[in-house]
Amino acid sequence: MEFSRRNFIKFFAGGIGGTLVSPLPWKLIDDIAIWTQNWSWVPLPGRGKFSTVNSVCTLCSGGCGIEVRKVGNRVVKIEGRRNYPVNQGALCPLGMAGQQILYNEGIRWKAPMKRVGPRGSQEWEEITWDEALNGLATKIRGLRNEGNPEKLAGIDGNHSRSTVALLIKRLFDAIGSPNYLGMPREEDTHAMAAFLMQGTNGPVAYDLENSDFILSFGCPLLDGWGAPGRMMSAWGQVAGDKPSTRPFLAHIDQRASRTALKADQWLAPFPGTEAALAMGIAHVLIREKRYSKEFVDDCTFGFADWFDAQGHGHKGFANIVLKKYSPQIVENITGIKKSIVIELARRFASSHAPIALTGRGKGLLPGSVYEFMAVHALNALAGRINKSGGVLVAHDLPLAPWPDAEYDTVATDGLKRERLDRAGTPRYPFTRSLIHTFSEAVNSSQSSPVDILLISSANPVFTIPDSKSLIEALDKIPFIVSFSPFKDETSLMADLILPDHTYLEKMEDVPRPTGVQYPLFALSQPAVKPLYRTRHSGDVIISLAQRIGGTIAESFQWNSFEETLKGRVKGLYQLGQGQIAYDGSEPVWKRLDKKSGLTPVYSSFESMWEALRETGCWYVPSHTFGTWSEIFQTPSKKFEFFSSNIELALKTYSKGKSLDDALADVGILARGDEVYMPHYEELKSRADEKEYPLLLVPIELINLASGWIGNPPFLNKTLFDHQLRKDDLFVEVNPKTASTHGLQEGSKAVLKSRTGELTVRVHVFHGAMPGVVFIPLGLGHTAYDRYLKGKGVNPYEIIDPTEDPLSGQSVWWNTRVTMVKI
Amino acid sequence: MKKRDSAKGARYGMVIDLDRCTGCGTCTIACAAENNVSVLYDESDKTRNINWLKIYMLTNGKAFPHTEVVYLPRPCMQCGNPPCVPVCPATATTNDSDDGIVSQIYTRCIGCRYCMAACPYHARDFNWFDPAFPKGMDRYLSPEVSPRMRGVVEKCSFCHHRLMSAKSKAYFEGRRDLREDEYIPACVEACPTQAITFGDLNNPKHRVSELIKNPSAFRLLERLGTEPKVYYLTTKDWMRRMADNYLQGESKKEGNRPEKKNG
Repeated sequence: MEFSRRNFIKFFAGGIGGTLVSPLPWKLIDDIAIWTQNWSWVPLPGRGKFSTVNSVCTLCSGGCGIEVRKVGNRVVKIEGRRNYPVNQGALCPLGMAGQQILYNEGIRWKAPMKRVGPRGSQEWEEITWDEALNGLATKIRGLRNEGNPEKLAGIDGNHSRSTVALLIKRLFDAIGSPNYLGMPREEDTHAMAAFLMQGTNGPVAYDLENSDFILSFGCPLLDGWGAPGRMMSAWGQVAGDKPSTRPFLAHIDQRASRTALKADQWLAPFPGTEAALAMGIAHVLIREKRYSKEFVDDCTFGFADWFDAQGHGHKGFANIVLKKYSPQIVENITGIKKSIVIELARRFASSHAPIALTGRGKGLLPGSVYEFMAVHALNALAGRINKSGGVLVAHDLPLAPWPDAEYDTVATDGLKRERLDRAGTPRYPFTRSLIHTFSEAVNSSQSSPVDILLISSANPVFTIPDSKSLIEALDKIPFIVSFSPFKDETSLMADLILPDHTYLEKMEDVPRPTGVQYPLFALSQPAVKPLYRTRHSGDVIISLAQRIGGTIAESFQWNSFEETLKGRVKGLYQLGQGQIAYDGSEPVWKRLDKKSGLTPVYSSFESMWEALRETGCWYVPSHTFGTWSEIFQTPSKKFEFFSSNIELALKTYSKGKSLDDALADVGILARGDEVYMPHYEELKSRADEKEYPLLLVPIELINLASGWIGNPPFLNKTLFDHQLRKDDLFVEVNPKTASTHGLQEGSKAVLKSRTGELTVRVHVFHGAMPGVVFIPLGLGHTAYDRYLKGKGVNPYEIIDPTEDPLSGQSVWWNTRVTMVKI
Repeated sequence: MKKRDSAKGARYGMVIDLDRCTGCGTCTIACAAENNVSVLYDESDKTRNINWLKIYMLTNGKAFPHTEVVYLPRPCMQCGNPPCVPVCPATATTNDSDDGIVSQIYTRCIGCRYCMAACPYHARDFNWFDPAFPKGMDRYLSPEVSPRMRGVVEKCSFCHHRLMSAKSKAYFEGRRDLREDEYIPACVEACPTQAITFGDLNNPKHRVSELIKNPSAFRLLERLGTEPKVYYLTTKDWMRRMADNYLQGESKKEGNRPEKKNG
């Protein structure tokens, strides 16, 4: 064909026309559209079968039921279980973000690790479990061969009633070391106050849902206290009711916390004066004879003046309270008007089922023993002990005990030695463990009295107020073993990592979740198979004991952690009472006095175990209210306003010195009979008020994880930009305080205490008490990944802790600071 | 203004009781987990981060200790007369007449952000970056919701995929209507204080229809005529007044009460 202009045009016109009628261009456009939106770096969620696993959240000791949603073998989402008695569907923000803890590769240890470079260089070598455990067993055997088993120490953050904690404690017993330390907890203070006044050792049990007047002395009920799911669900159940039919909540707080905002009455006494307010209320109750005569006359000791066996006269609680805590005096101490104190007391007394309670933070912050006692005295005055809607005297669950551990002579000798932290000695007679005295003991000796330190389920370098001295101690301790699944501040200082599973990969128990008023045993289930080469700490402890050999191996005759747990649960079966399932229809607290539903539905232990694994809970929906005889285990067998145990302890401690010296040592300012009774102790800061005019109070937020578990990225979404902006943490300051210090919203300022300084930004907030700087806990990590590390500051770096009188626990709310704009 | 809400289909809506809400943030997290919402290294960058359900903190500004704070959760208002829909040049966002849900079709979105400018509630977020999930965290992504790519706008969908699966289930069982509890968005389900109620505003049997008649019910910026389907309840007058703009001297009593409307 001739190549002409005509033919040329024909060819191209035909070509274009032909292409257009063919599907090619349309297909191409479509493909381009799909291609541009299918970039390989946009993740494509995997498909699979949808399923759910019923389990229990063990991120705190609240024991909320969770439903883990899965696709294939992946966890996709966590939801609260409506058919679980504790939380009835409610879950806190941290529990909701649990999948980020499981799957965040950047924060997890994936296998046992040995440190190879110098400490802090973060040079690690992956080793096998056999290598790791054999090496550790040899080291521990070495200590025992030298006759120094006490050179093994441990810091354990597991809940003291959990099976893992008991296994670790048993390991220490069998080896012969008394130096097993629990992390400080709010429950310690509750336990001490209950022991001193009631002689009981059971768990805290507040029957809040049945109360009609809740007087909360700073207890952050809606800010994550106790079992957060339970508290928020309880609030949701009554919040819509008319004020006249729902419980009246009077909350005492220095800041417009979530609890204070929802309270019917919010009172703000000066920080640390809560005990004085409680005593002022006691004063009105006694003066106006509004206390329960029945309870006070029959069941208490030390209320009226009395004579002891030697014929010495003692002043009674009533006498002292009437003299020292008149509403006017209380107004001077607390700043709360006397008319309000009187009105509050009358309202408390005239309510049908009032309850007074204390508490601090989300569970890791201990309080002041005398303050907790002062508040509990109100429950006694109103006769609210073991009454519906009051403070119940609860017992530990009847879990079957293990056979006694075997002790050889090395172990028996070792256990006789004094604990390094001196907890339980005459100096700190009622305290379980003290991290700061432990650190001091290590720091003050020439060579470290600890050769091997085991740290489990805790990140004390980040979460305790006196972390500086602990870090110094850790530097000195030659060998540190961490069981943490996370690359947290503490595990980064270790020499050997024996990583545990995270909570969604393992079975764990929560016997009696914090604060829940009826007996409940929560059991979690692994939702997925372990992702990495980690091992359950329970199994690791058993395996370690067996490798150490001798009587230690004999004390651990189990094949697996599950077997030890199952053995304990047999005790619940043998009780012959209890429920395994909850249908969500009637809350358990509504039927505690009905004595119905006690007969178990299971016929054999195996069927109970299977059902328990399926539902995750065993509970007894019953409480024997009203009994007062035989529940108090104090020396007087009564509820003690005058604590014989304090008297006994101080007598022992003051042997060979004067009582005044002993009191000064223990840090008690009161004198005379008041020492043994609930009273207000002024806590003096070590800093000069003129030099450091402001008070720094750390706060815990429900949407910011401040404990061992690092804050998951999802929670960062919920922080306001007046809480965290870029890497700057904000502190809350009252407008008055801000203006006297020349600070505006967003100003950068340096907070300086006696022990250090931090740079923060200022959020001017009317809801903050003047003169106080509120700083959130939970940020300022130096470990974890980019989503957490380096954001904000950790208040504990400048906290200047003093010791709480009597308990010796660190007082974290009493640091004086200056604030200078930069 | 012309009402677009059709009476024939369902009109899903939400009532949030602010007196009950503690501002804990569980809804935000449940939403992010349910809908594969990405996370930034710096989530404090509120102009770049993505939050389908954002919580605002409002205070009455009174001096200590008379300060009151209200936490206000803000999902997409799912307006009956959505300002975002007519401005979209790509028809990537539509108002569904069957369920009243304002959809967002990511694959159609060209990222012009007209809708963001039009939305008076700041309910829409733009993907300035590729969706980021910390290493290993793409393993929790749900196949029910597609992750978004860089350059598109996203927003709350009232967990539309939940409606779809509830509908499929009902269809499979031979039913046409959904029960009240059959379709519930993730935030409603997660709220630990049961502050959020969800249902069909066109169905007089659903609790939401009853709740919006409550004298303390109101909507945000109601005077714009966007007809939001998210209602709030509060007994705090100062908060209700904050929900809209008023002229100086305009009667406070007028407040922000729902107008009587048809349908």
